[in-house]
Amino acid sequence: MTQATSGQARQGASLSIEEGLSPNLQAHIGRHLRAVFDEVAREPIPDRLLQLLKDLERSGDK
Amino acid sequence: MTNLRAFAVSLCGDRERADDLVQETLFKAWNHLDSFREGTNLKAWLFTILRNTYFSERRKRRREVEDADGSYAATLATHPEQHGHMEMQDFRAALTKLPDDQREALILVGAAGFSYEEAAEISGCAVGTIKSRVNRARNRLGEMLGMDETTEPEPGITKSA
Repeated sequence: MTQATSGQARQGASLSIEEGLSPNLQAHIGRHLRAVFDEVAREPIPDRLLQLLKDLERSGDK
Repeated sequence: MTNLRAFAVSLCGDRERADDLVQETLFKAWNHLDSFREGTNLKAWLFTILRNTYFSERRKRRREVEDADGSYAATLATHPEQHGHMEMQDFRAALTKLPDDQREALILVGAAGFSYEEAAEISGCAVGTIKSRVNRARNRLGEMLGMDETTEPEPGITKSA
């Protein structure tokens, strides 16, 4: 029933994992990651979300 | 808000579903404003609500559909709006193949601008867990994209016999 401990159980072992990739490759991955993320972040907020914000704001006016 | 949406898209890999997630997050945040403490990090709070919503839905879904991972990876890999050069497509595809918890940690720290401490708070785990998830995520990505310490990545060049 309780699965909450699985993450903690794994933690002890994983802490000893070597640092891994060189700074160059880490930076390379970092650049790609931010590019993927920023591509979405630059998109305009969809209308339905803007509308929701407006509705919430209006419902908050007392 | 744009960052929250970008987080949702990178997490679930599907814009429609991401927008549903953001919508639900805003609703929940609005309804639980009283549980938000002034002076704490609003951005981190919203990210927490969003990832909790995502993971609890995903647990439910996984019970219903066995192949959650496979079908989800497929939808992301073939998203028509996603273009760009091969390297980026490969990267996106590789990102979707990471385990959820590793992808989440990597995005929070590597793209959304959170510290390891903040990311740990958002994910509800120890800082060391976040660090090792990020490390494992990077290593996996490096492996999948065929990067290693000695060779510079050279897209387009294959050395098959």
